Amino acid sequence: MRPSCGLPLAIRVGVLTILLGFFSGVAPRESHAQATSQLPKSWNDAVSKLADEFSAVVSPAPVTLSVNNISALDASNAGAIETAVREQLQRHSFSFAPENSATAQSVVRLHLSLSESADEYVWVIQILSDQSDGNAVPVIIVTAPKADFAHAGAAAQSISLEKRFVWKQAELFLDFAFLKDATSAELTLLVLGTNSLTTYKPVGSRWQFSHTSAIPEATPPSRDPQGTINLKEGKISLKGFECVGEPDLAGALQCKASTAGRRLGGPAVTIPGLPNSLGTTIPERCHDEYVSLFTAENDWTQSDSIRAYLAKGVPLPVFPAGNTLEFDGPVMALHTDPEGNSTRAVVHNLKTGEYEAYIATATCGN
Amino acid sequence: MLRRLAAISALMSLALAAMPARSARRPRYGGTLRAELGASVASLDPDVTAATPEEAAAKAQIDALIFDHRDSDEALVGAAGSGAFRVTTFESGKRAVLAANEEFREGRPFVDGVEIAMGRSAHERLVDLELSKTDLTEIAPQDARRAAEQGVRVSASQPDELLALVFVSANVGSKAAGSASARPTGQAARQIAAQVRGAGSEQAMGQALSLAIDRVAIVNFILQKTGEPAGGLLPQWSSGTAFLFPAAAPSAADLTHAKELWKQIAPSGPLVLGYDSADPLEQSVAERIVVNAKEAGMAVRAQAMPVAGAGAGKSRDAGLPAGHVDANLVRWRMTSSLPDVALKDFLARIYAGPLAGVEAGAFPETASPEDMYKQQRAVLNTYRVLPLVWLPQAYGLSARVRDWKVPGPGENWPLADVWLDTETQTPTPTGVQ
Repeated sequence: MRPSCGLPLAIRVGVLTILLGFFSGVAPRESHAQATSQLPKSWNDAVSKLADEFSAVVSPAPVTLSVNNISALDASNAGAIETAVREQLQRHSFSFAPENSATAQSVVRLHLSLSESADEYVWVIQILSDQSDGNAVPVIIVTAPKADFAHAGAAAQSISLEKRFVWKQAELFLDFAFLKDATSAELTLLVLGTNSLTTYKPVGSRWQFSHTSAIPEATPPSRDPQGTINLKEGKISLKGFECVGEPDLAGALQCKASTAGRRLGGPAVTIPGLPNSLGTTIPERCHDEYVSLFTAENDWTQSDSIRAYLAKGVPLPVFPAGNTLEFDGPVMALHTDPEGNSTRAVVHNLKTGEYEAYIATATCGN
Repeated sequence: MLRRLAAISALMSLALAAMPARSARRPRYGGTLRAELGASVASLDPDVTAATPEEAAAKAQIDALIFDHRDSDEALVGAAGSGAFRVTTFESGKRAVLAANEEFREGRPFVDGVEIAMGRSAHERLVDLELSKTDLTEIAPQDARRAAEQGVRVSASQPDELLALVFVSANVGSKAAGSASARPTGQAARQIAAQVRGAGSEQAMGQALSLAIDRVAIVNFILQKTGEPAGGLLPQWSSGTAFLFPAAAPSAADLTHAKELWKQIAPSGPLVLGYDSADPLEQSVAERIVVNAKEAGMAVRAQAMPVAGAGAGKSRDAGLPAGHVDANLVRWRMTSSLPDVALKDFLARIYAGPLAGVEAGAFPETASPEDMYKQQRAVLNTYRVLPLVWLPQAYGLSARVRDWKVPGPGENWPLADVWLDTETQTPTPTGVQ
């Protein structure tokens, strides 16, 4: 019942040979980079709604606008929202007077608050009054979805990491992979759950459910399930089971009990300079140095990150390099491709409660 | 020498290249988690009603461990022992020993068992934490900061429990209209006029008290900065709109306004503020309010009241007996982190208690932030419910507890997910997490 700290030898040694080969560059790229001057559509819609509702209850007049950002929005995004609100109000025939102009006493003083609730941004516009009881009217409130605007690290660094969001779902999953059809070159997304393998087909820019194949689950189920999709060998490995697909993993699955590999005795290998956390080494080297990706030393209740570590051969030590990829929850699993420079990360987003799939790519700089 | 270096290099290369996904933070099975509770649970029988709100809350936590789950009506589902744990020993009011359920639907818990000591005082619990005699216990929010400074590992939730002052319906009107109703009128029209005047005075009394209370000082000095001043019925982290309900320290103008309002009311005697005699936090806050009121020229008297029945759920509700007091301190815990769900629950309590008889505005099925703002504003404008502070739930943890996620509103202790790190001697973070 008690899982050992050591992993089966077959898994440990097989890391180099059993992982996937199709990842690099085949997944549809989801753009996270946002120009600060251009808001996402959902945010623009929220700004329009804010201005529409305000203009419905207040006649056009000279106004001043002060802004208070009490959310996690960074200054550039907050500035972009303020600009958009000003533009929208001007479209509704409101004119802006300088904050300290002589006419400022006679103008309507508006206050925009950029706030956030547990799961969305909350933007509020109100008319400032001298009332101290907060009964100022009107109060217009709109919400906008939170989005990931993480930027990649500086290009000048020796190695840079980029994360690419692939998938998210409410249920826990253990691994994911892109299966490429040999003839049509069409991609299929495979998502390995604790007791099923679900396939999704691309429809436009989205993934559409195709079908689910059941996989036997260990009895009783483990609270720490682990599993891997091995496209190269066309099989799925879970604790106590191995499954193969016909003709491939997107087809019918046949599963059988697998013999547990011999477990390594003694202490795990500890390499100075590497964190005591989830980590893996990618096959490609950077300037002839080994590149390892490791998570932070947090537990599953905290946010997490992935960072690259370079080993300059012998003698060690290993040292951290490049930027850090931040995640809103623990990295639950890290799987390396057998070739290339990327890893697959399964993240439990603590803010949304959902499980997310990312591809983390390490690019060697000059 | 070169050959040796080459061999080491090859080994290191192999180690690096074949490095598995290793992790010291992968959970481990085994060990017994020791928890301590302040409350004493007399019986785990679902049909036996708890004697106090504290016992009801403690019983609910144990129920959540031994029953499979609760349905949408909060009813327990499954037999006792169908949950993550089953009870192996139960000594009424003193001790419960739970063993991991190997067949639990969601997977066996990581710990082999849980030993729960009940009826431990706050001081005993803190001492046991410091002496590593327990792994998990609740800490009163006002003690959290001091405990952290003494090296205790403290885990605190988002502030999700509202400490508020609510007026008792039957009393305050007559108190506020005391001088008017004492006059011999004898005519119905004059009685109605007095009642109308009383209702207005009642609102003025609440407004005066609200203006006089220094919520910031309560947070800073009584709660030692563990909590937030409350101006609305939802915390900022959940609703995003709490800033629209100011809760700043009273200004000189506020105190002047409060004095004027109090003079206009001319109450017949001091306003009696009831608090739970078993709750040191409520006592401190009540005494502070008395001081604040005095500074504004208002006469308020704090009155300790014995706790009534278990009330609704884990929060102390309006369980203090009416008739002796004009207002009560209440502690209401959010039932959900979703603002609309939590607000709906609060409104149900308010319109059944301090605003009984007042027609509630329709609460939409999917309430927007603006809907929720208006609902709160409608309640707060009556000044019959005065939010004071938001309190977090604080827990003390031993160094070996891993993957403890502090339960949010409506959640239970995640003891099936917790594991005990008995091997890795990592530095334990201290302070409030």
